[in-house]
Amino acid sequence: MNKTKIGLLLSLALMLGLTSCGEQKSNTKLILNEVLIENGSNFQDDYGVHSAWIEVFNKSYTSADLAGYQLRMSNQQGDTVTYSIPKGDVLTLVKPRQHALFWADGQPNRGTFHTNFIMNGSTDTWVGLYDSGKKLIDQIVISANTLQANQSYARISDASEEWEVKGAEESKYVTPSTNNKTLSGNAKMEKFQSHDSAGVGMSITAMGVVFFGLLVLYISFRFIGKASVAMSRRRAMKSKDITCKEEAKEKKLGEAPGEVFAAIAMAMHESQNMHDVEDTVLTITRVKRSYSPWSSKIYTLRETPKK
Amino acid sequence: MGEFIDFIGRNLADFWTYTGFANATVGHLIMILVGLVFIYLAVAHEFEPMLLIPIGFGMLIGNIPFNMEAGLKVGIYEEGSVLNILYQGVTSGWYPPLIFLGIGAMTDFSALISNPKLMLVGAAAQFGIFGAYMIALALGFDPMQAGAIGIIGGADGPTAIFLSSKLAPNLMGAIAVSAYSYMALVPVIQPPIMRLLTTKKERVMRMPAPRVVSHTEKVMFPIIGLLLTCFLVPSGLPLLGMLFFGNLLKESGVTRRLAETARGPLIDTITILLGLTVGASTQASEFLTFDSVLIFGLGALSFIIATTSGVLFVKIFNLILPKEKKINPLIGNAGVSAVPDAARISQTVGLEYDPTNYLLMHAMGPNVAGVIGSAVAAGILLGFLM
Repeated sequence: MNKTKIGLLLSLALMLGLTSCGEQKSNTKLILNEVLIENGSNFQDDYGVHSAWIEVFNKSYTSADLAGYQLRMSNQQGDTVTYSIPKGDVLTLVKPRQHALFWADGQPNRGTFHTNFIMNGSTDTWVGLYDSGKKLIDQIVISANTLQANQSYARISDASEEWEVKGAEESKYVTPSTNNKTLSGNAKMEKFQSHDSAGVGMSITAMGVVFFGLLVLYISFRFIGKASVAMSRRRAMKSKDITCKEEAKEKKLGEAPGEVFAAIAMAMHESQNMHDVEDTVLTITRVKRSYSPWSSKIYTLRETPKK
Repeated sequence: MGEFIDFIGRNLADFWTYTGFANATVGHLIMILVGLVFIYLAVAHEFEPMLLIPIGFGMLIGNIPFNMEAGLKVGIYEEGSVLNILYQGVTSGWYPPLIFLGIGAMTDFSALISNPKLMLVGAAAQFGIFGAYMIALALGFDPMQAGAIGIIGGADGPTAIFLSSKLAPNLMGAIAVSAYSYMALVPVIQPPIMRLLTTKKERVMRMPAPRVVSHTEKVMFPIIGLLLTCFLVPSGLPLLGMLFFGNLLKESGVTRRLAETARGPLIDTITILLGLTVGASTQASEFLTFDSVLIFGLGALSFIIATTSGVLFVKIFNLILPKEKKINPLIGNAGVSAVPDAARISQTVGLEYDPTNYLLMHAMGPNVAGVIGSAVAAGILLGFLM
């Protein structure tokens, strides 16, 4: 197969890979997470003012920068206000699994996190988050009069698909700048503590997985080993002009253990005074002149001098 | 003049409060003594000197008493100190994968590829991890701590450090020291168990010579190994990925310089930093607790369980194997991944009973399978408990 064909094959594989990636869910790191429209006595901004707010969540495990992103809001069709998040403020870098809170107070001169629009709960409210390439990455519509004062519309837990009204019941509380569902401990660990306090379940499961993993590896290499022996037997049959498979199997062609090779090497070493035919053969190899520090002689000749 | 002498006196008194003599506690002296014992074992008895010398000397460094309130930024637990910066490789868990890169670049998996059923022996020895996990739970440790303690039974220092840095950072010092100590003590712990569980007839059992493994098989092993194990346990990726990558560097035959760097200068550098900082992390004030004593006890138990389960598994496995393919149970101990010490012990004990029966190559199979098995087990614990 020539290089062009290999290149074409690789390109095709890459294209298929990219296509299949496209079918998956969006891998946007930053999403809208919670919105509060009418702030009567809820969270105050740094000026002590109760304003509406929009919470953005970084759902990834790496930092994500909001600089250059846009928050857009509309209370009626064709009346969209855009707030471009300024670049140059280090605080726009949202840490992994953390939140950024924007005050929709129409006072952008109060800082990066104060938008140039305000929100009105008496009509439908649309909020959109756009990336720096002006591509819509998340949006939410809050119907008119859905929220009472001090209630927010939020994802049930951070980054979950479903939204709910928070602040209407005691168990569903408004959570500006923090997790939508308060983490009260390590859920996984508690599950183990309550269901498997002796650790038997964990041990059985984990040992099962360890055995399964190594069993699969064993089976794979059993087949690969058999194929390898068969190939070396075919080569040996060819070199010895043997065509009968039974005869080759009987003579164990291609299955010589390492000890045999070691014995042959030692016998040659002893009988031929360390050298075989190479003493009388002059080998001429084409020398590539293309220079690279990675293949340079001066960098590779690092063998310790022999005594 | 009197005032000047008074000033000098006050200065000296002030200086005295900074000295180790003024700040020494019994704990410091005990840990210094432990460090000296480690160095003695390494120098006089050559017990894992590459590990015990850095760890032992690290214990001396970490237990030089000083005035902790002076803000000198010299202690390993003081943010911004040199030792603390070097310790980041342990706490953030990036030294262990680099060690695994070196291990991969120096490990020959031929013995395992030629006789792949030995992989199951490597899996069986991981019972040590989960035996210790259950005992740790019974002693009152929470599941995350128990998982971190259990991994000592994998007999793999880097894996123990990696997992404990994630699951129980506060116990990491004790777990790391315990894991490395027992790895060094493998020649003391394993032989009596091996003798106890095997008959004389079993000990002289001969195994067929391993076949020659082709270059293609050796190249395929790290690739297939990575894909199979990491698709199953992605949380083991940092360790398994680096292990198999290092092995591919070695076996590909075209990256000799990279393989030499990985198994030479790189692993040596990381071993020095890892050993020294782990040793220094045993600062008496943080280390000398009842939990540490329990962890040391559990570590010993986990090694005993791992060795026992490896040997017993071979005996049971032999019941279903044809006569010409039976495995010498003396290589069962090598399922713990203390490479190559555990395999060397199989060889030594085997030679005691038959001076012409060389088990080393056979024992290397379960030994390297143990490395894979313990990394997989660590990945499972991480996935379940994090």
